[in-house]
Amino acid sequence: MGATSVVAYATVQALCRALYADLLTPDLQAALTRAPDLETLLSQLRLTAYAPHLEIARQLLTPRRIVYQLRQRLGVIYGKLIRFTPEPGRDLILELWRLYEIDNLKAVLRGIASGATWSEVRFLLAPMPHHTALPLDTLLRLLETRDMSRAIGRLRGLPYYPLLSQALPQYEARGTLFPLEISLDLGYRRALWRCIAHLPNSDRAPAEQLLGALLDADNLLWALRFRLYYHLSEEEIINYTLTEHAQITPDEIRAIARSDDLAGILPHVLRHIPAVQQVTLSQHGTLLPPGTWLPALEQILYAHVREQCRQTFREATFHIGLPLAYLILAEYELHDLTAIIESHAVT
Amino acid sequence: MFKSRAMLHVELLIPETEVLSATEALMASGVFHLAAAEQPGGVKATETAVNWHNRALDFAALERRILTVMEELHITPDSPPADIHLIAPEVAQRDIVHFEQEAEPLVEALDAARRHLALLQQSTRQLQPLLGIEVDLGQLRELRYTYAVLGTLPASNEERLRSSLEQLPYLLIPLRRDGDLLVVLLCGARQHADILERAARSAYLNPLPLPEQYRGTPKEALLALQEGQQRTHQHIAEYEAEIERLRTLRVLHLRSLLWRVRASRTVTETIARYDYLRHLYAVDGWVPADALPTLQETLLAISPRIVIEASPPAVEEHAAVPTSLENPSLLRAFQSLVTTYGQPGYGELDPTPLLALTFPFIFGLMFGDVGHGALLALVGALLLSRKVPAWRGLAPWGGILLACGLCAAGFGALYGSFFGFENILPALWLRPLENTLGVLLFAVGAGAVILSLGMLYHILNAAITRNWGQLLFDHSALAGLLFYWALIGLGVKAFGVTLPLSNGVLGGVALVSGAALTFSEPLETLLRGQRPRFPDGVGTYLILAFFELFETLLTLFSNTLSYVRMGAFAVAHGALSLVVFIIASILTRKGSVGYWIVIALGNLFVIGFEGLIVSIQTLRLEYYEFFSKFFTGNGTRYRPLTLLPKG
Repeated sequence: MGATSVVAYATVQALCRALYADLLTPDLQAALTRAPDLETLLSQLRLTAYAPHLEIARQLLTPRRIVYQLRQRLGVIYGKLIRFTPEPGRDLILELWRLYEIDNLKAVLRGIASGATWSEVRFLLAPMPHHTALPLDTLLRLLETRDMSRAIGRLRGLPYYPLLSQALPQYEARGTLFPLEISLDLGYRRALWRCIAHLPNSDRAPAEQLLGALLDADNLLWALRFRLYYHLSEEEIINYTLTEHAQITPDEIRAIARSDDLAGILPHVLRHIPAVQQVTLSQHGTLLPPGTWLPALEQILYAHVREQCRQTFREATFHIGLPLAYLILAEYELHDLTAIIESHAVT
Repeated sequence: MFKSRAMLHVELLIPETEVLSATEALMASGVFHLAAAEQPGGVKATETAVNWHNRALDFAALERRILTVMEELHITPDSPPADIHLIAPEVAQRDIVHFEQEAEPLVEALDAARRHLALLQQSTRQLQPLLGIEVDLGQLRELRYTYAVLGTLPASNEERLRSSLEQLPYLLIPLRRDGDLLVVLLCGARQHADILERAARSAYLNPLPLPEQYRGTPKEALLALQEGQQRTHQHIAEYEAEIERLRTLRVLHLRSLLWRVRASRTVTETIARYDYLRHLYAVDGWVPADALPTLQETLLAISPRIVIEASPPAVEEHAAVPTSLENPSLLRAFQSLVTTYGQPGYGELDPTPLLALTFPFIFGLMFGDVGHGALLALVGALLLSRKVPAWRGLAPWGGILLACGLCAAGFGALYGSFFGFENILPALWLRPLENTLGVLLFAVGAGAVILSLGMLYHILNAAITRNWGQLLFDHSALAGLLFYWALIGLGVKAFGVTLPLSNGVLGGVALVSGAALTFSEPLETLLRGQRPRFPDGVGTYLILAFFELFETLLTLFSNTLSYVRMGAFAVAHGALSLVVFIIASILTRKGSVGYWIVIALGNLFVIGFEGLIVSIQTLRLEYYEFFSKFFTGNGTRYRPLTLLPKG
């Protein structure tokens, strides 16, 4: 670790550790999960770092709006980290921030496809108060085109245009958003890998370790879902997944796309995660039907990523690893909170 | 000039039926400052406020639709008209739908024609590599034993497509690259058509849309495509002419509609911030006293049922009263320097005139040179005159530059410096490079005067607000000033300067004022007629008070010494100019053209680089040493409601 990286990352290091201390404790998370109703949940959230974002009229706080308000905190944190992270690490944080831009764009495209109104879409969007090529106004104007082709035409000049315009004929022919969304997802993740590749050695290793684990998990889960839920063919699965990888190679993805013995292959592909070894087996040691174990596998993979992030915080880290680890943990926390809030919305 | 405009606290009760017209009048008057209210959608937002807020959102959506139509017709918003009337959302909606119905078919037709043209051009480009092949394209479409697809593929997908087909015999021939896309020909056995098709589709290989009518060899198809392009160009020209006709017809109406919708949105957003009682809206705000009669007249003309109550603000209300500063236009730039630091409170003296005196003085002292100063003054005058179109936005800063330039020229005359030449003009006072100690001592003396001015300002402020305790015992008011002066007197006498006051008198003043500073808190409490309390005990209070006095002493000392930099920069300015001459002599022969070029460039560097540093130092001295003595800057800026945002 060079003296320059210590100096460059000193502020980010302090900031991330301060932010890390603000993450919800396991006890509080458990309490939130047990909250009997939305009111109790809100009063508990008002005792956390999310409190300032919940200070709006109670009548406006629908479950969807609560999630939106909570997401505002992530926007603030990204703003700080983008400001303090030195180049070229900042580019990676910016690229990570762009994930929400992709999500927003996908929400608008879904809105166009389903004929949704702006008020139906508005609070599904992630708040992006800064560093975005797609501010709210632009997204609204895209939705108001009410036409997929015109909306995509308006993205000319942005990196999303070539991805979407190439996928548009398939959308028009098949009437499903799948080709558009997967094109955006693949394009984004490739850009993220390119961004990692441009980092200096001291930053690249932790970025590959953390984001690589995350992207590998996404890639593997995509392959499994395409296979088990969408029943796609081998060649489609290969084309709809990434060749860029950290530990799970394209050959292993091909094996998953082709093999009839997924339960046999998975423990080998994920040999670096011991918890996976039993995921396809029932309590009695018999093989579970394909697909029934996928949610459990997803949990194990993301728990593995979380553990790697926490491990980063246990080390002295004057590199990009610490902000990345924090941002991944913060995103997971929001993901969990969203699930809790949505469960209240359903009940 | 030293005081802000007198304000009146105005409370309005507006009947529900008149709220729109009354708000429009309030905003059009440009004098009503709405008191801080809950933002729409805030914690205490009422249902009515939320309804108005939603209505404002509806207007915002309408505004965007108008902007879209205007963009499609290439119409810019232009500046707002002098007279704007509100519009009901239903009426605006009806108009917008009409405009959309007029414009959108044309725009869509134009878009379609352009897309078609792009398609033809793309097909033309894609056929280019096949130009030498004497194969009928129709035959390529009707292959019996071979599956073949000619299409475009994102270059980044080529490797994956090959990888996905590695179990099959196939042929993937890249024909040409078109940006991020590859034009490829994918061939394989007809029996594998399903697999090849799935692989091509999932790799986003889009077949080239060669229309059925383009048959024959690629050469023949190209000719047909070129004819198609000519026809499409003609269609595009027709649509563009039609859009231009529509633009000319609708430009005024669309612009007017846009501003009316914008104004209506602003009005509804404002009403969403009112308090709502039963059938009445309660509005709380501030109006300059001289503007109230006209406003009253306007509102009562709308409805005599509008209740208007106006009262001058009580002293305890001053913190909430917005301040509107009134300075001559030449001082406006100095005013913006003040407001950048903070807004003067209501009733507080406006430090702008004082800043307008001290800022150029400090700058001039540090940057003394007749030539450099005159040049800066010239640029300042040029900015003020607004004769250079590109600099018009900087015009307000011309006043500062002019004043600073003149002061710098004045000090330049005192220093005998002209573009760094120290031998052309006689020094009317001293040359900083020859009498460094003199200029440093003068700077400290000037600093002491400036700090004293700050404290006198603080005393005046305290007198105006009748805060006698603060006036007498504050660290930056009377007690602080006497303590400061007594210490300066003692210090000066220690260096052998004769003063009409004896050491005993000065020591006595220092002791009494020091004691007043030490016990300022209980003394102020006593002055208010209350019994002083020491919640942590007298001992703790005394220890804290002693350290506070010690800190005051240190602060006064360091603040005064800070001004020594004025002298240091005056010396540095001379030294830097000298360096320019040394460099010129080293690099060139004295008197040659090169010599004068180096001198000129060096002088420009000194003006630009040192001018910037001196400006920053001046601002630092003003903000941190001077303003901290008397100016809190906790006031609220007067922001009257307007129908349309400025700018």
